[in-house]
Amino acid sequence: MSDPDLLKPTLYRRAGSAARPEPPALLGGACACGHVFFPLQSYGCERCGGTDLQPRALTGAGRLLASARVHLHAGKGREAPFTVGSIRLEDGPIIRTLIEGGETRLHPGAAMVAVLAPVTDPQGSARLDLRFMAEA
Amino acid sequence: MATTLKDLRPVYVAGIGFHRYQFLSDTPYVTLGLAAVRAALDDAGVAWPAVDSAYVAKALLPMAPGRAMLRHLGDHGLPIVHVENASASGSAAFRHACMEVAAGLADIALVVGVDKPMPVGRAESLARIGSLADDAIAPFTHFALLADAYAARTGASVEDIALVAVKNHRNGSKNPFAQHQKERTLDEILGGKKIAGGFTSLQCTPVGEGAAAVIIASEEGLRRRGVGLDRAVRVASSAGRSQHLYDDATRYDAMLTQETTQIALAQAQLAPGELDVVELHDAFTVEEVEYVEAMGLCPDGQAVPMLKEGAFDIGGRCAVSPSGGLISMGHPIGPTGVGQIGEITRQLRGEAGPRQHPGARSGLAHMVGVGAVCYVHVLQKP
Ligand SMILES: [Zn+2]
Repeated sequence: MSDPDLLKPTLYRRAGSAARPEPPALLGGACACGHVFFPLQSYGCERCGGTDLQPRALTGAGRLLASARVHLHAGKGREAPFTVGSIRLEDGPIIRTLIEGGETRLHPGAAMVAVLAPVTDPQGSARLDLRFMAEA
Repeated sequence: MATTLKDLRPVYVAGIGFHRYQFLSDTPYVTLGLAAVRAALDDAGVAWPAVDSAYVAKALLPMAPGRAMLRHLGDHGLPIVHVENASASGSAAFRHACMEVAAGLADIALVVGVDKPMPVGRAESLARIGSLADDAIAPFTHFALLADAYAARTGASVEDIALVAVKNHRNGSKNPFAQHQKERTLDEILGGKKIAGGFTSLQCTPVGEGAAAVIIASEEGLRRRGVGLDRAVRVASSAGRSQHLYDDATRYDAMLTQETTQIALAQAQLAPGELDVVELHDAFTVEEVEYVEAMGLCPDGQAVPMLKEGAFDIGGRCAVSPSGGLISMGHPIGPTGVGQIGEITRQLRGEAGPRQHPGARSGLAHMVGVGAVCYVHVLQKP
């Protein structure tokens, strides 16, 4: 069922969502109380504590809240510089993600879309990972 | 309505002691901790056998470092509890020690924070909830994102936010216990090693080791030991909270700071404008501008203009991070919240020497920690 080409198939999928057919979609969740969250988890709702949590595909569209070019990074498997951003998804949740094309200054408020970008996994295989970029 | 600290018998800070915060060295943690505890006991004029209860704050050292250190003060047998609450470990230990003394279960208590940099894991990662890019977002990157959002919201520039580091390094240059003791120009700070976003290394707290201790006591406890209240500072209030589910989930530290500060100030029956000195969690420059606004020390979006006019300098309207704060004094984790209490006590006693804020009567200590948790204490000259 999960797509072997995706680096983190529990977090996103190739197919879009009902609200936005363009790929990819983010695999979030929704509670009976109306709280929408990302990523999906089954421990309990952060708003009401309920455990009736259903999967909900979130669209890969949102607005940039902030971005930062990272010049120093200690973790292995990721070379600085790279750009990260905070994005408010149009479905509600705020996510922190890597930004493609972050060499040029991005402005808070910019419309952003999700893309699947080629990466190499720790074993050296070609995979696809989720990134956001400014909407063309 | 539950009882607050203010409703119980008064609790005083009677002694303070430090081991300098410094870069990782071969010095055993026992040496660091004992230096701070002995200094605090001396300062209080209290002997070790008079201490009823000990709280040891640490976040990085392995399990149960307390007795392995405290046994070198002599045979005792007192209860020892270890407190781990991320960056707020020392603040949490102080709060619980105050409660024990206020409740009358102890007359004199020791709070000591001691730590050394060591690799640690984050429990959050054990929840097995995936993340898109958490491995790419170190704490400095999280705060660099907040700085970008702050700049967009208020029109502040990278240079404006870096002024916090100029002030705090200037304060730290006058603090013999600070890890960084060098005054820095804005150009030096901006020209340093680039970290993330607008941050350079001197706008970020250094990783280090150290120790801080305070002796807290009831009036009876001190009098019985022949100690008066002339150098004692009253703990006027204590508040601890953890974060809610916020609409802007990235600004949790500021929202939590606002709520916790309001509770602590209300308990102490003080307005933000009545505070003379504030020690806050300025691990990164942007935190100070966010938190002085969240605390009500200035209106929203006005932190930079007030910083520029010197309102937060020693001798200004309210001295913010007179110790040098986390940016300059350092942030050895376990000790940090205890050290803030030590600095405010020194200021309210009028014993801060070259970094004394004139006429300081009321002070506030603030820490946030991963989680997020937040602690605020208000101290007053009796
Ligand atoms: Zn719910």
